[in-house]
Amino acid sequence: MIRLFVHGACATPALLLLAGWFNNRLGVDPEKTLIWESGIWTFNLLLVVLLLPIVANWTQWPTLHRYRRAVGLWAFSYATCHFLFFITFLLGWDLNRLGEELQERPYIVFGFSAWLILVAMAATSNRAAIRWLRKKWRVLHLWVYAAAGLAAIHYLLMVRSHYGWAGTYTGIVILLITARFIRVRKKKATRDC
Amino acid sequence: MVRVTDQSVYKRRKFIAGALGLAALGSFSTLRYRGRMSASAAQAPSDELAIEDPAPSAADHSPTNLAERRITTKYAATHYNNAYEFGWNKSDPAQRSGDFQMRPWTVTIDGLCHRPGTFDVDDLMGTPFNQLEERIYDFRCVEAWSMVIPYNGRPLRDILAAVEPMGSARYVAFTSVLRPEEMPGQASLFSSLEWPYVEALTLQEAMHPLAFATFGVYGDHQLPQNGMPFRITLPWKYGFKSAKFITRITFTEEQPPATWNLTNPREYGWYSNVYPDIDHPRWSQATERRIWGEGDITRMPSRPFNGYADAVAHLYLGDKKQYR
Repeated sequence: MIRLFVHGACATPALLLLAGWFNNRLGVDPEKTLIWESGIWTFNLLLVVLLLPIVANWTQWPTLHRYRRAVGLWAFSYATCHFLFFITFLLGWDLNRLGEELQERPYIVFGFSAWLILVAMAATSNRAAIRWLRKKWRVLHLWVYAAAGLAAIHYLLMVRSHYGWAGTYTGIVILLITARFIRVRKKKATRDC
Repeated sequence: MVRVTDQSVYKRRKFIAGALGLAALGSFSTLRYRGRMSASAAQAPSDELAIEDPAPSAADHSPTNLAERRITTKYAATHYNNAYEFGWNKSDPAQRSGDFQMRPWTVTIDGLCHRPGTFDVDDLMGTPFNQLEERIYDFRCVEAWSMVIPYNGRPLRDILAAVEPMGSARYVAFTSVLRPEEMPGQASLFSSLEWPYVEALTLQEAMHPLAFATFGVYGDHQLPQNGMPFRITLPWKYGFKSAKFITRITFTEEQPPATWNLTNPREYGWYSNVYPDIDHPRWSQATERRIWGEGDITRMPSRPFNGYADAVAHLYLGDKKQYR
């Protein structure tokens, strides 16, 4: 039941965008809408991934830990669409230009690195990979915090003059990363005594 | 350390977490999509086609025949605008300009000229609005999108010549209106731009026949989102050089400041001519996405001076990097 709800909720923005695209309801520049909305929903889902363990602890609701994978895979899907939209609409599949853009534009480097992290995590999100990588798997999947940080920089660098949204997202990422550090320290402290 | 917490506490916490989650989703959607939802409820893009047909009287004395060129739909050109005075979102200028008072509107022309004064915008037109010249210009935004738009106005030089600039005048500065109570973007705390918006040209640029004093687009002057009641249009430069809501024109000897150039000189040059091979530091200017409206967008290579090189290239001698 919860599983169904999680997938349904994660799929909703994509379905709305799809419907908007075919009904010409995505505004005057639908290409840009797709790029921005896929990006913002990648970010939203990444924040959910970071929030889930906090909520799970606070409510003693261990089931929530399990949905990190589902939400994380959805974040990866939105990020992949975001990247494909960028290549299609802004570069017109001119892959030489992708190379140039990667060299010259920092915001693309940050976004692209965040996506590479998500690729690595998505590729190792099955049981076989968990068994095979063991301890390394945990370390690899801690990189989701790095991905969120890179996404925040990626967003900040895109701003032309209005920092409201990008600033808020960055603030939330900083809070969540700090919360993670505090949690780990507390755990260590309790283990020590 | 052992903490004992009653099961009912966790139940309550689950409830609180769920409520907070819903509240977060709700406020996010409202803040982000409020404009879009009201826009799509009100918009009927197919109805806009009817309005697009310009008045025949305007087309008669137009240098370019409308039938020869495809233009962007009026709906697209009036609902996708950069006018940070109303907000940073492209839909803000159309949606958040309801309080903006367009009349009375005066423009003060001063500085190094022999006949300074304050003029009513209707007098600046020189003729009734529907007798103004119509020009179809390619409009190229620094953000690498473009539109083809019919502008209604008269050459800027006709207005400037009337006040008789002095021989010492080398630049023309334009100051936009400052009305935070009517322009929500000017009142915003998060904006990094200084208000009022200022722009400037060399006198030579301002006197160029392509520089167009603009009082309307698509034969319509009630369009604050497009910079009315009075703006300038400089088709060979990036769009932000074409100052909107102008209330003051000043002739100077020293180079006047320009808002985007002040805010971020690395990214926005003072001249800001369209040079496809000089990138904006964060994106390429080699190509542009031409927005036609109704979701139709064409990717095309950008052209030096936005296609107006034959007319204006002679103004810029030497290394083009100094005119970026």
